[in-house]
Amino acid sequence: MNAIAHPARPFGAKPRKIPGSLAIWAAILAEMSEFAVMFIVYFLAKVHNPEIFAEGPLKLNTTAGTVNTLIMLTSSFFVVRGVIALRNNNRVACSRWLWGAVICGGSYLVIKYFEYRWNTAQGLETETNIFYGVYYYITFNHFLHVGWGSAAIVWVIYRVNTGIYTKNEHEGLLNIAVYWHMIDLAWITIFPLLYVIR
Amino acid sequence: MKTPINKKMTHIQLINTFWVILVSLTLFSAYMAEQAKPGLTSILIMSLVLAIKGRIIVDHFMELKDAHVVLRTLMRVYFYVIPTLIILVYLFPEQIAKWTVL
Repeated sequence: MNAIAHPARPFGAKPRKIPGSLAIWAAILAEMSEFAVMFIVYFLAKVHNPEIFAEGPLKLNTTAGTVNTLIMLTSSFFVVRGVIALRNNNRVACSRWLWGAVICGGSYLVIKYFEYRWNTAQGLETETNIFYGVYYYITFNHFLHVGWGSAAIVWVIYRVNTGIYTKNEHEGLLNIAVYWHMIDLAWITIFPLLYVIR
Repeated sequence: MKTPINKKMTHIQLINTFWVILVSLTLFSAYMAEQAKPGLTSILIMSLVLAIKGRIIVDHFMELKDAHVVLRTLMRVYFYVIPTLIILVYLFPEQIAKWTVL
């Protein structure tokens, strides 16, 4: 028997696909863990301060939170459509869909900036109480992710436009795509925790 | 002879449909935030909405539905655990506060 050969995969077994690279998935799982720590902080702060956490969401700008949720979901949709376009060998369409995602990311940042200004005008700041401390801790962290994620999409657009990414080779695009979806997943969790649940 | 209608959605149509579902669930959440009476029912609904949205993005946007089982499981479990924690924290806040320190 050949002790060196690996055992053959069972006939008909599908290859184990990983969208993007192992490295980006290590990063994604690490970031999901980071957000999980923030969510645990939220839950602990909530059980120790139930009245503050019941009142906190009432003063937040639910419209801004809702619009940003719609923007994040739409940006993820645009990223998926961009990936599909490149798989269909349509670099121009891919680029346009990705620019749509970047515009969404930029819009998110602008809305968040104005939301923070609105909060300040209402007297809601990081040290107002523990709910707002947690709110700023989580949402500012997410704000940073949207910022550098959007910049990464711009980089990917450049590589699509210059033909570095092609129909058959675009792992970098998939890396940024799944990373962006992770940022979206974080927000769809943050939105109900901070804005909806009372 | 009539041409049979192709009832199978294209991948693009499926993604478009999921986007509409995600947007609808978000608008419903906003409505719940403003109108719903706080209570166990609204918590259960919001937890379910989060679980569904997470599942759609994990399976169909990240394309983990047919991907490596470990990645798929880890990401799916996240959106079982967080909604469950939301419900548990609502149901047992005093017990959790007793067992933990801030």
